[in-house]
Amino acid sequence: MSPDASAAKPTPQGQVSLTIDGKPVIVPQGTTIFDAARLNGIPIPTLCHQQNENPVGVCRVCVVDVGGRVYAASCIRQVDPNMVVKTNTQPLEDVRKTLLELLMADHPSPCTRQKHSGDCELERLAADAHIDHIPFAKRTTPRGHDDSSLSIAVDHEACILCDRCIRGCDYIRNNWVLARRGKGYQAGISFDLNDPMGDSSCVSCGECMVSCPTGALTNKAIVGQKLEGEAVNTDFLLELPVFKNVSGNFLSLNRHAIVERRFKAGDIICREGEFGYSAFYILEGTVDIYLSTPMAHVKTQDASEGWMQKLRSFLTPRSNQPGHEHHGRTSIPIDANVDLPLDKPIAQLGAGELFGEMTCMSYYPRSATVRAKTDCVMLEMLRNVLDIMQRNKSFREQLERTYKQRALDSHLKSVPVLASLTPEFIAHLKERVELIRYLPGQIICQQGDPADGFYLVRLGFVKVSQHHPGGEVVLAYLAKGSYFGEMAFLLNSPRMATCTALDHVEVVRIPGDDFRLMLEQFPDIRQKLEAVAHEHIESNRQRMALVESVPVEQFLNQGLMEAQSLLVLDLDRCTRCDQCVRACADAHDGVTRLVRDGLRFDKYLVATSCRSCRDPLCMVGCPVGSIRRRNSLEIVIEDWCIGCGQCANNCPYGNINMHPFPVQIEDSEHPGRMIATTKPKATGCDLCTDHAEPSCVYACPHDAAHRVNPPIFFAELLKQGTPATQGAPVEGRD
Amino acid sequence: MYEELRAIQRQYGYLPADQLRALSSKINVHLSQIHAVASFYPHFHLTPPPKVDMRVCSDMSCHLCGADEVKAALENQFRGASEKDVTIREVSCLGRCDQGPAVMLNDTIYAQIGPQDAIGMAREALAGRPLPHPKHKHGRTPATCDPYNGTGQYEVVKRFVEKRDWQEIIATLKTAKLRGMGGAGFPTGLKWELVHNAPAPKYIVCNADESEPGTIKDRHIMENVPYLVLEGMIVAGLVTGAHKGFLYIRHEYENAKEILQEELDRAYKMGVLGPRVMGSDLSFDLEIFVSPGGYICGEESALIEAIEGHRAEPRNKPPFPGQVGGGLWGRPTVVNNVESFSLATVILSRGLEWYQAQGKNGSVGVKFVGLSGDVNRPGIFEVPMGITYSELIYEYAGGIPGGKKLLGYAPSGPSSGYLPASKADLPLDWDRLAAEGSMVGSGAIVICAEGRCMLDMALNSTRFYRNESCGKCVPCRMGSQKMVDMLKGWTEGRSSKNDMQVLKELSTAMGLASICGLGQIVPAPIQSILKHFPEVVDDHLVRRHCPGGVCFTQAGMQ
Repeated sequence: MSPDASAAKPTPQGQVSLTIDGKPVIVPQGTTIFDAARLNGIPIPTLCHQQNENPVGVCRVCVVDVGGRVYAASCIRQVDPNMVVKTNTQPLEDVRKTLLELLMADHPSPCTRQKHSGDCELERLAADAHIDHIPFAKRTTPRGHDDSSLSIAVDHEACILCDRCIRGCDYIRNNWVLARRGKGYQAGISFDLNDPMGDSSCVSCGECMVSCPTGALTNKAIVGQKLEGEAVNTDFLLELPVFKNVSGNFLSLNRHAIVERRFKAGDIICREGEFGYSAFYILEGTVDIYLSTPMAHVKTQDASEGWMQKLRSFLTPRSNQPGHEHHGRTSIPIDANVDLPLDKPIAQLGAGELFGEMTCMSYYPRSATVRAKTDCVMLEMLRNVLDIMQRNKSFREQLERTYKQRALDSHLKSVPVLASLTPEFIAHLKERVELIRYLPGQIICQQGDPADGFYLVRLGFVKVSQHHPGGEVVLAYLAKGSYFGEMAFLLNSPRMATCTALDHVEVVRIPGDDFRLMLEQFPDIRQKLEAVAHEHIESNRQRMALVESVPVEQFLNQGLMEAQSLLVLDLDRCTRCDQCVRACADAHDGVTRLVRDGLRFDKYLVATSCRSCRDPLCMVGCPVGSIRRRNSLEIVIEDWCIGCGQCANNCPYGNINMHPFPVQIEDSEHPGRMIATTKPKATGCDLCTDHAEPSCVYACPHDAAHRVNPPIFFAELLKQGTPATQGAPVEGRD
Repeated sequence: MYEELRAIQRQYGYLPADQLRALSSKINVHLSQIHAVASFYPHFHLTPPPKVDMRVCSDMSCHLCGADEVKAALENQFRGASEKDVTIREVSCLGRCDQGPAVMLNDTIYAQIGPQDAIGMAREALAGRPLPHPKHKHGRTPATCDPYNGTGQYEVVKRFVEKRDWQEIIATLKTAKLRGMGGAGFPTGLKWELVHNAPAPKYIVCNADESEPGTIKDRHIMENVPYLVLEGMIVAGLVTGAHKGFLYIRHEYENAKEILQEELDRAYKMGVLGPRVMGSDLSFDLEIFVSPGGYICGEESALIEAIEGHRAEPRNKPPFPGQVGGGLWGRPTVVNNVESFSLATVILSRGLEWYQAQGKNGSVGVKFVGLSGDVNRPGIFEVPMGITYSELIYEYAGGIPGGKKLLGYAPSGPSSGYLPASKADLPLDWDRLAAEGSMVGSGAIVICAEGRCMLDMALNSTRFYRNESCGKCVPCRMGSQKMVDMLKGWTEGRSSKNDMQVLKELSTAMGLASICGLGQIVPAPIQSILKHFPEVVDDHLVRRHCPGGVCFTQAGMQ
């Protein structure tokens, strides 16, 4: 054989000469066969390879013959000098066809993508290979769908495990949410711990979806959430520092999820208590953010006037009421980077600031009313776009900077026990604190671990729980303005409880050393913290003592153990006369807060009224932190309740009612004029604290209604062996 | 990461999600990556295990020893039991092929378990009573080739430290034509030389993950002459300039692991390991790495991935483990089988002449082989190369029970495919077996007597590959399942006239396009049946008749 053309002229340094399908080619060293062929106009089919990702060679559709024992995946195999590559022999075509038949055997053809846009890469290759009959058996075990994400639909049936989405998520976007799970024929893609996509730490960046060759990951149309306003040009967004490095491709796919809004001075942008699903980013202008609800509490008229007459509820500031402990607060936490002073609940936000994060991420009601102070330009966005923004490094940096400059000071001071911090020390802390984000379900600190920091909640809700042999016990839910992590420092012990993010949480972390320094420099803070800590420890101790000493299984099953105080009706005595219900209605402006129905325990009916639960779910999600527990464990609703109804929705026992009352508010159409309207406020059973005895108990003509402390009451019952519950062992029967 | 996961599993019995979340922040590994790994290895449970987690080995040897009856008896006994109480599953080869059937009950392995034993143990476990400790053989079986007569002297290490003659060692191994004994048969001397010439840092890895059905000889070597393995690894390290070695052992080999650990401690005390080997300026450290499980981990690049804490998915090659970019943490790495390292020690210690004098019928050397299945004395034997398979079956393993005739045998587990009785006089010789389209492989000889169904054996082997496929590449992940579907159909009376053509195309695609040896070898069992036992396939497909009376049991009921 005569020397071929490439051997005749020397190959330049750093270049490799080879033959592809008989064509001599010269390419730089390190080039893959796939690229060498592509650069020379020889296309090789592939499914798992795309130009912007590192090759993995898993679909094997791109195999070529390089004269070896087996074929080589051209996407990952680098060229060797004098290699002879064949890309289109009949045996190669046959192998590719078999591979496509194998994939098509389990493919839900036509898949979502093929149906929508006709460009499923697998189905296209199969059509090109004239595959019309699949000789293999179909999969018999379903692989499932996942519709939990807001923006992306997952059809595992259509997944060919090409790993393109995984590489996109992990290496291109650095999100590391996607990975393979399982092994062999059972393998699939999974999010985090094989969580539903919507519950995972996925930020909806869309990279997986744009990487997917089939209909396994497709863009969901945004249903039910429509934004008014002008669509924004993707290029314009990408120029904003907050969107630097974001995938333009995905922004343009989600162009309906971010719009530009213009407001004139005086326009209301959103109202407190409304439900919403968007966040606002201010591009130009200033807004006022305030509470328009009067600072007052629903109060039913006093019994001294006799309660057979028609009564009315009215509003009274709690501070005017005798006998209420001082809550110590000076500010109201809201869903923005500022707190509102309690005495004058108004603040301003300007360009570059964001509000409505919690509404947008976790669908909490709006925490405050926002009104344009000057003419404003804003971006209003849905959750998927906010996700992208919050994950963006440059946005995070900006957020952290503004927080430290503007909000840290007031945030620290809003916590009553920390009120005495000096400006010097706060300045010191500014250099030290960090803002950390946690996803729903993520653990912030774990029981038993050494203490390394003190945390203030900035956004979202944190669940504090302890692990006991019988299971997890929830100690508290913490919202913005609360703190945790101090106990371990005060007692010099490991963490005493596990703190978990309940939704999208952001905390301010003060490093351990700085917290210790603070305790040293401010003995009064130490004292106050210690006092609160001891109270917590004591109440936990009592609770645990009860859990351990009472045969409480059934009791726990009914959630009764959660209650601090119960209204029980003795069914042996009760004649169902409903006097208790009437008495309650009479005492509360004609609206009863008691329903004579509920769980049964032995001969007792646990009527529906506030139980002052140990796991007070009602406290989760209050956008302004106005529902809280007093030290006496009674649940109270503070004056600044904005009437959104979140707590009423959350109470699993239906014990919180929304109570409308008339108010005068400013007419947004005609600034300066007041109009009359009604506003709701949340009310719960107040135990008729102004009476010697709750009205319902007082009114019962049969002595069947009792207010009891459940652990003590039921423990007594159980000890006597009275409850003849089914299946319980009965001893000494004759 | 595995140690952390094992610690969580020891405490909770499985891997609770909140513990994995905590681990993620503790070791700074993404949650998805932890799950990817934990869900890959059968050793880890992501959900609370039942009170009785009974897994019956169902592969080749145990299949021949009545594993199906054990499983059926268990299923019958515990029919209707809640899944929280009892689950009965199949499990891949547990490495007790000479003592089948084997079961794994709540992560402990028991050998020679009949249906009644299995039911009895499951009842005990269900009642919460402690289970017996599995029996281990005490005392050691001496090896004829052992130069040290039972106690490791590490003479080859000493000699190297004095003479530093790496060329001599590599030349000796090359002249001895020592091959990789894990199955692939790559020349050991050449492998060491390649790594010697590659830039540092480098690593030595001993592949003690033998998991192929029938393969039990490495267990025998590690339990009886552990020092030969360790010395082979140390010498490889000193010769190639590696300073660190890992002995990767399957987690089902607890006993072998303990024996090795003892010997490893002794070697450190003797000074043949550590920062100053024999007081010299040479250093070599060695540790035992317990595999999180799976046959695929025996594939050398998958094994490396496993050590690195990833899913054990084989890499695209080249680069090979001996090359930069292909080995452990991307560094040149010698990966050899237990027997290869041991025989290297033997050859270097007893000398080339001695080694070349071993062997029969023109073959050279010795080999450890395991015989299991239909034989009277299953076990591991140290035999001369060149010995015939019929000698092994009738002289070493005591012949076939009940005086039955030989039907066929697998010279090396499923990977070698099956040979018919007419080829039982073949010698144990690399080239002769290769000429037959089979292989000496790891010497996992599995014997099938008359009355067995060879198609059923092929299905059993294919199922093993399907179960053990890592799922990384399409031909193996999809192909192994579709091949099982087809063969299962054949044994149940379902076939179509295109099946032969489709099977041929599928076999070609798997053999040529799979990433690693596992996928490439999946077609071997059924292809060997088509080649050597065509009448059996015809019986099934044309006459719907199973000569062994094994198949069509389900179809018969319909």
